[in-house]
Amino acid sequence: MISLNYRDSRPIYEQIKDGFKKLIATGAIGADEKLPSVRALATQLSINPNTIQRAYAELEGEGYTYSVPGKGSFAAGRGEADQARRAELAEKFRVLAGELLSLGVSREELAALLKEVKV
Amino acid sequence: MIEVRDVIKKFDGFAALDTATLTVPKGSVYGLVGPNGAGKSTLIRHLTGIYRQDAGSLEIDGQSVWENAELKARIAAIPDDWYFFLQATIRDMMRFYKGFYPNFSTERYEKLKEVFAIDEKRQIRRLSKGMQKQVAFWLALSAMPDYLILDEPVDGLDPVMRRQVWSLMMGDVSERGTTVLVSSHNLRELEDVCDHVGIMDHGKVLLERSLVQLQDNMVKLQVVFKDGMNEVPADLPVLHASKLGRIHTLIMRMNAEEATARVAAYDPMLIDAVPLTLEEIFIYELGGADYAVKDIVL
Repeated sequence: MISLNYRDSRPIYEQIKDGFKKLIATGAIGADEKLPSVRALATQLSINPNTIQRAYAELEGEGYTYSVPGKGSFAAGRGEADQARRAELAEKFRVLAGELLSLGVSREELAALLKEVKV
Repeated sequence: MIEVRDVIKKFDGFAALDTATLTVPKGSVYGLVGPNGAGKSTLIRHLTGIYRQDAGSLEIDGQSVWENAELKARIAAIPDDWYFFLQATIRDMMRFYKGFYPNFSTERYEKLKEVFAIDEKRQIRRLSKGMQKQVAFWLALSAMPDYLILDEPVDGLDPVMRRQVWSLMMGDVSERGTTVLVSSHNLRELEDVCDHVGIMDHGKVLLERSLVQLQDNMVKLQVVFKDGMNEVPADLPVLHASKLGRIHTLIMRMNAEEATARVAAYDPMLIDAVPLTLEEIFIYELGGADYAVKDIVL
């Protein structure tokens, strides 16, 4: 379910984090569904369990998951996860829009662009 | 926990280890890296009780390793030249291991038989180099050790087997809290499996950090300065700088935020912070120690 790209410059724990964020946001991992155990993921990907632990801890900190002591990590309900994802994507949007503005795209053109986007 | 304090070992006056100091926390996977001849294997031979240090101390769980059979029964090691009896089959060697390791699990040995898929009645010396390594892993993992000490362990293994043995070891680390010390030159691979790294050179451990700290402590910035500014400002603490066209690549010994802030003060047109790979950290850390790829044309 998570695949690592070894040519990616992002650190592995970030790739794991982003992988789960996508899976949770798309609903591939439903609300209250259990994430794979640290051990299972460590053996499956052949990577250090502490790296996975770190990714899980940060996912929890960002509101994508919650953990139950002794049971593992679970995907948060859509509400929390969506909110976290929204904040993150909004930040990315800000960066991209800023870059477009600095390239001379006017605010009107940007608004027009936004209207073109279909869901 | 493995604690090595100021160990000195001399061979005919040559100090192979010169006040080497390192600490491997329990349950961690520690990657020992360094150029050829840095003393990695010598240090590992001390930890497995083969060499005795001239000075300093080596302790595992607070006990000295030398001639300590009880402690060594909890350590499995795979040296670069793994020893087996000349005529021995895999099964013979298994019996030998079983005599040494009270925790040896026959059940595990049987399970791993399917993983490695080598006929246990075959003589080890007739196997290929890579298959002999597989047998070494097979027996070491069956010994259920608390400490696994590996000297360039995956050399000679094919890509599938490499992943297979790492996967088995990572399972043990998360399940049983096994502590792994591994020396290797394959930094790409260490980056996935290690959480601590020690860099050795000239018989010393130059630095040891957790991988997170190591990557947080050095950053690569790609910067385009404004027109008229062709040189990197002299007061930036730059470890290494190179230039391609207008793009300066700066290596700085600080975390990404701090470095970006320092460079941003010069109002550049572009700043991009890129995390360093372990290989790059290795090269730049040792670059200061007078070790680098020389531009020699033959």
